[in-house]
Amino acid sequence: MIELHNVTVTYQKDSAALSGVNLRIPRGDFVFLAGASGAGKSTLLKLVYGAVEPASGHVIVNGQNVTRMSRRQIPFLRRNIGVVFQDFKLLPTRTVFDNVAITLEVLGWEKRDIGKKVYHSLKQLGIEHKIDSSPLRLSGGEQQRVALARALVNDPKLLLADEPTGNLDDNNKDQILAIFREANIRGTTVVIASHDRRIVNASHNRVVRLERGMIMEGGYDPLQA
Amino acid sequence: MTRSRHNIRPQAEKAGFFDSFRYFCAKAFLNLRSNRLMSLLTISTITLALLIISIFILFYVNMEGTLDQWSRKVVITIYYDKEPAHPELASLKSRITSLGGVDSVAYISKEDALKRFRVRLKGQETLLEGVSAEILPASLEVSLKKQYRSTEAVSAFVAKLKLITGTGEIQYGEEWARKFLSFIQFVRILGLLVGGFLILSVLFIISNTIKLTIFARKDELEILGLVGATPLFIKTPFLLEGMIQGAVGAVLAIAMLAAAYFTMLSKAGNFLSFNPADAGLVFLPPLYLAGIVASGILLGFIGSLASLKRFITI
Repeated sequence: MIELHNVTVTYQKDSAALSGVNLRIPRGDFVFLAGASGAGKSTLLKLVYGAVEPASGHVIVNGQNVTRMSRRQIPFLRRNIGVVFQDFKLLPTRTVFDNVAITLEVLGWEKRDIGKKVYHSLKQLGIEHKIDSSPLRLSGGEQQRVALARALVNDPKLLLADEPTGNLDDNNKDQILAIFREANIRGTTVVIASHDRRIVNASHNRVVRLERGMIMEGGYDPLQA
Repeated sequence: MTRSRHNIRPQAEKAGFFDSFRYFCAKAFLNLRSNRLMSLLTISTITLALLIISIFILFYVNMEGTLDQWSRKVVITIYYDKEPAHPELASLKSRITSLGGVDSVAYISKEDALKRFRVRLKGQETLLEGVSAEILPASLEVSLKKQYRSTEAVSAFVAKLKLITGTGEIQYGEEWARKFLSFIQFVRILGLLVGGFLILSVLFIISNTIKLTIFARKDELEILGLVGATPLFIKTPFLLEGMIQGAVGAVLAIAMLAAAYFTMLSKAGNFLSFNPADAGLVFLPPLYLAGIVASGILLGFIGSLASLKRFITI
């Protein structure tokens, strides 16, 4: 599903955000990217959805070489990827319905179908009763569920999450992680970047550890591959 | 909160140009409603900025009219001691006209000159005792077209006029005309400079206001980019919003200017000693009004486009 071959990313001339990263994440996998702040977790996710270009190396997502894609092709890559952030990134002037529907509108769905699909998606996450609410009136856990509904409403092949539980209490963290697991069971490949040792250690999933832009655990050695 | 009306993008394979346009327009109006405060701020700024420009244009148009009237006073007169014969006069007129830039050539016979003299000395007719038409010269009065009324153009015309054989003594109050035309030119240049600065400041204010409103919605741009919207899909509603705001701002500016102008016209007679309508004041011609609306739309479009470029990074 995701392959990174000898990828280096530099934001400034002398310091590399990622350095010689080699990683393979097969279809249907559930992976944690662990590491302290500044280790390169967010940069790695950005590479996958085409928000950052590597200085060298190749990024292959769903069989497509992202590094060779033109800027016009990036939107079509993203239509198969759901992304969730720590700060939810919801539109405060729109309703919960609008926030989730935006994904389907971009894909050109019909009005009638959007209504059904959004309701179904919100119901799966247990917040269908908030459909007409403003995100500003929701709790942190509810806001993250709306963000997840927006990411999952079009059944993406890949779900990326950057510190999705960073703003939540323990109870909400567990509930949100359960939603990720359900999506994974339905066939979505899930990659979660987190510096929260509690949830990473408590999971029985694959962990890729990053430190100062390099993979310390969970990568692959290109010489042995 | 009630669920807002949704305008779903038609399926790409089925959608024609008008379907897409309708969808994007609906989206733009929905966005304007959702971001009422920012939209009002932008429209108010555009209205005030274009009102300032419109007031300046109104002033400039009327000033141009007055300057044009004044510059008509610069007339080149060719005096003849002896009245030219009719065929000679016709030939002279046509040769003068062929010099280019001539608005009109009027022949003033000795009799006409005396009549004028009488009119000007009305009430002091005794001064005209013993004066006959014979002692007054006949003349040709040449007035030039607007664009040929500059100091240099008048001098160049007079130089060419002198080369025409049979031309009598030429007078055009050289020194007076030079100073007068230089003054008119100075006023025009000053007007254009003030207008230029005004337009630049208005452009700056409007583009910054639009930039701020788009900056306030950068999350929306980011989210649209994340869920796979193409740059065109993201930009179009924003550009339409900018154009709508520009058009509304321009129409409001014109309405406010018209209300102020016509109120002043109707009330001015009460407290001013002259009637502005008689003074030759005019409101902006339709072409100028259309120009202001078009400028508003263009400003909204370009302002939005420039700001979007900064925030859309796909």
